[in-house]
Amino acid sequence: MENEGRRKFLGVCLAGATAAAAVAAGYPVFRYLAPKSGQGGAAKLVIPAGELKEGDARFFEFAGSSAVLVKTRGGELVALSAVCTHLGCIVQWEKEKQQFLCPCHGGLFSTEGTVLGGPPPRPLAKIPLTVTEGNITVG
Amino acid sequence: MLKRLYRWLDLRIGVGELVEKELTGYLLPRNINEWYSLGSVLLVIFALQVITGMLLMIYYVPDADKAFKSVTFIMNEVPYGWLIRLCHAVGSNMMVAVLILHMLSTLIMGSYKAPRELNWVTGFTLLALVQGISLTGYLAPWSQLSFWATTVATNSASAVPVLGPYLVEFLRGGKLVGPATLGRFFAMHAAVLPVVIAALIGAHLFILKRTGISAPPFGKDETANPFEARDYHYQGHPGGIPFFPNFLLQDLTSISIYFAIFLAVVFFWPNLPFTPDAFVPADPFKTPAHIKPEWYFLANYQTLKIFPSELLGLSVQAAAMTFLALLPFLDRSPERHPLKRPVFLTLVIAGLLLWIALSVWGHLS
Repeated sequence: MENEGRRKFLGVCLAGATAAAAVAAGYPVFRYLAPKSGQGGAAKLVIPAGELKEGDARFFEFAGSSAVLVKTRGGELVALSAVCTHLGCIVQWEKEKQQFLCPCHGGLFSTEGTVLGGPPPRPLAKIPLTVTEGNITVG
Repeated sequence: MLKRLYRWLDLRIGVGELVEKELTGYLLPRNINEWYSLGSVLLVIFALQVITGMLLMIYYVPDADKAFKSVTFIMNEVPYGWLIRLCHAVGSNMMVAVLILHMLSTLIMGSYKAPRELNWVTGFTLLALVQGISLTGYLAPWSQLSFWATTVATNSASAVPVLGPYLVEFLRGGKLVGPATLGRFFAMHAAVLPVVIAALIGAHLFILKRTGISAPPFGKDETANPFEARDYHYQGHPGGIPFFPNFLLQDLTSISIYFAIFLAVVFFWPNLPFTPDAFVPADPFKTPAHIKPEWYFLANYQTLKIFPSELLGLSVQAAAMTFLALLPFLDRSPERHPLKRPVFLTLVIAGLLLWIALSVWGHLS
């Protein structure tokens, strides 16, 4: 009986030591593989207002993802995430129709980002912007 | 829980039978010693080299313009990148060292003798391949050390008559060491050689399983080789100790001792595998003074230097390597105890001393 207890104790010690060794080896490997935080690129972008004509859209990298700035035919400025809410493809600007099309599965979005058709479950996320002294600041 | 999983597996794939045959029922000689566990240590080292190599490949860029920068990035920027790289660099040195010890124990205990000639030949080929994978990996960081050590190493092939100059160019992928060399060396280092080494380890273990493990010649009166070349016979050890748990514990002890030494080097002497030239990017127009190969090539390096012609130096080395590779076919006496083989033992010790002396000389010259 005493032997059983000793065996169990040694077994627990061995399991503990193995687990500690696994953590000691696994943690550096996890850190090595984990993406660096803050590696997402600029989270603020300044574009001269004159660069964008009415009815045009400009795609850019924003905080490690893709975004789009559109100037509607009415002159309104809107910044949106360019990542389709269906399966993550990047939407394309259809200038004639003044809407966004996701070529992957035919999702359609308005210039405001609302879903006009197709499978996307949510509108495109809006990104705040300000216009000061002829410069558009996104983010 | 574990017992239920074991039972579940046993009902489906007969794990119990495998355990009985390969672990608890796999009997080893009663006088087996710790030297027999070096093979397991080597398996662990190889596995660690493969894992750390794969991890390094995530950030390493095998391009002459980017290689050094990517290694510097791994060392200085990637979290624990230094640890992964040092484990790989120190591990490669350790692998050669443990391989040499493994072969020395085989030599001293006469385990290479019939019917185990193939174990020796595959093991010897593995040593050559491990040296090859170390040499090709040496170029990867694209430092001054890598660049010029590779220049010198590949240049030694020029001593081969007639084909020499072409051979050097073929090895380098050009007249000089350059981006083309890095491409082919990296492919050899990361794709070709690991697969060949893994396959040969498989063959080595398969042959070991077929011949059965040799009994050490110590602690017994009869030390002659029991092999008779009549028909195939597996050498079992009735009444021996089981591999599991007895010898597995010895394997784990040896692996733990290995890790203690290996990690001591990684943490306390991290610069041991490097010289200052390893921290300077390769410059094809600036040869640094005193470029030396890795410690295990120092004897070869010095041999090339002491002979008046490079061809003679290469031939002597080739002869020594061939002699060692074919040893089981040349030494056919059945006696295995080292003290009952005084000439052989003297030759082994003299050879070892010569190798050490040449290495030290090469280091100091």
